[in-house]
Amino acid sequence: MGLADELFEDAHFLADKGTADQRRTMMRRSISTAYYAAFHLFVEDFVEHWEFPDQRARLGRMFGHGKMCTGFTPKDKKNPTSVEQELQDVVTAFSQLQKDRERADYDGGWRLVKTDVDDAIRLAEVVFSKWRKIKDEDIARHHLLSMFGARSD
Amino acid sequence: MYLPSAVTKQAEIEAAIARVQQSIGPDVVRIRYEIGEDWSGQWAIFFRILLTDDAARRHLREVAPKVVWELARQLDFPGMGVFPYHNFRSVSEQSMLQEPAWA
Repeated sequence: MGLADELFEDAHFLADKGTADQRRTMMRRSISTAYYAAFHLFVEDFVEHWEFPDQRARLGRMFGHGKMCTGFTPKDKKNPTSVEQELQDVVTAFSQLQKDRERADYDGGWRLVKTDVDDAIRLAEVVFSKWRKIKDEDIARHHLLSMFGARSD
Repeated sequence: MYLPSAVTKQAEIEAAIARVQQSIGPDVVRIRYEIGEDWSGQWAIFFRILLTDDAARRHLREVAPKVVWELARQLDFPGMGVFPYHNFRSVSEQSMLQEPAWA
């Protein structure tokens, strides 16, 4: 099992335990961990194509969180293809997770509730399931490059 | 200072929210929003969506994407210069927290 999947399992565990015990720190960690699971899903996917396995971890550390929330607009906004729609859902869910992770980690005044935690898990599920479905499609590969800072054509 | 066009389109946004609420039905109690900068300094619209307890507890996986999709269908966020964020809360949770921004 890769790091992304392990983190996602941890996010589930922290969500269940945190909400059952009403322990705010665990609820915050579950949101943060759900985000990092999604983050590492993209990183793992990117670096697995690097030819030299011993350099993949180092390559993975090059990636910054800020650049990863690059937007995506379908060619025909009113009639996106099914792959474009899936990618749009991934981008929206990941951006939301990133914002919520910022709050969970740094906003001490955030009075988070069970629905916040449930929604973070739901968003990570969206990222995992939809990304794995489309990751070999051309637009997904191009978007992955953009997430790691590559300029568009 | 740059301001996104969403700032001048509040009436349009309110009307779109009303349509979304109507199309989704009673699962959504109300939708509030504000426009501001997100953690990275980009302009954003932050939606606060209050759900019935039943919708939040049992149907979040169905209701939340419906709200997100409907809002995106009704409002051209890239054209308005904002990125949308959506947070959900149940009626019971709001009753406990009593946060004016969600009222």
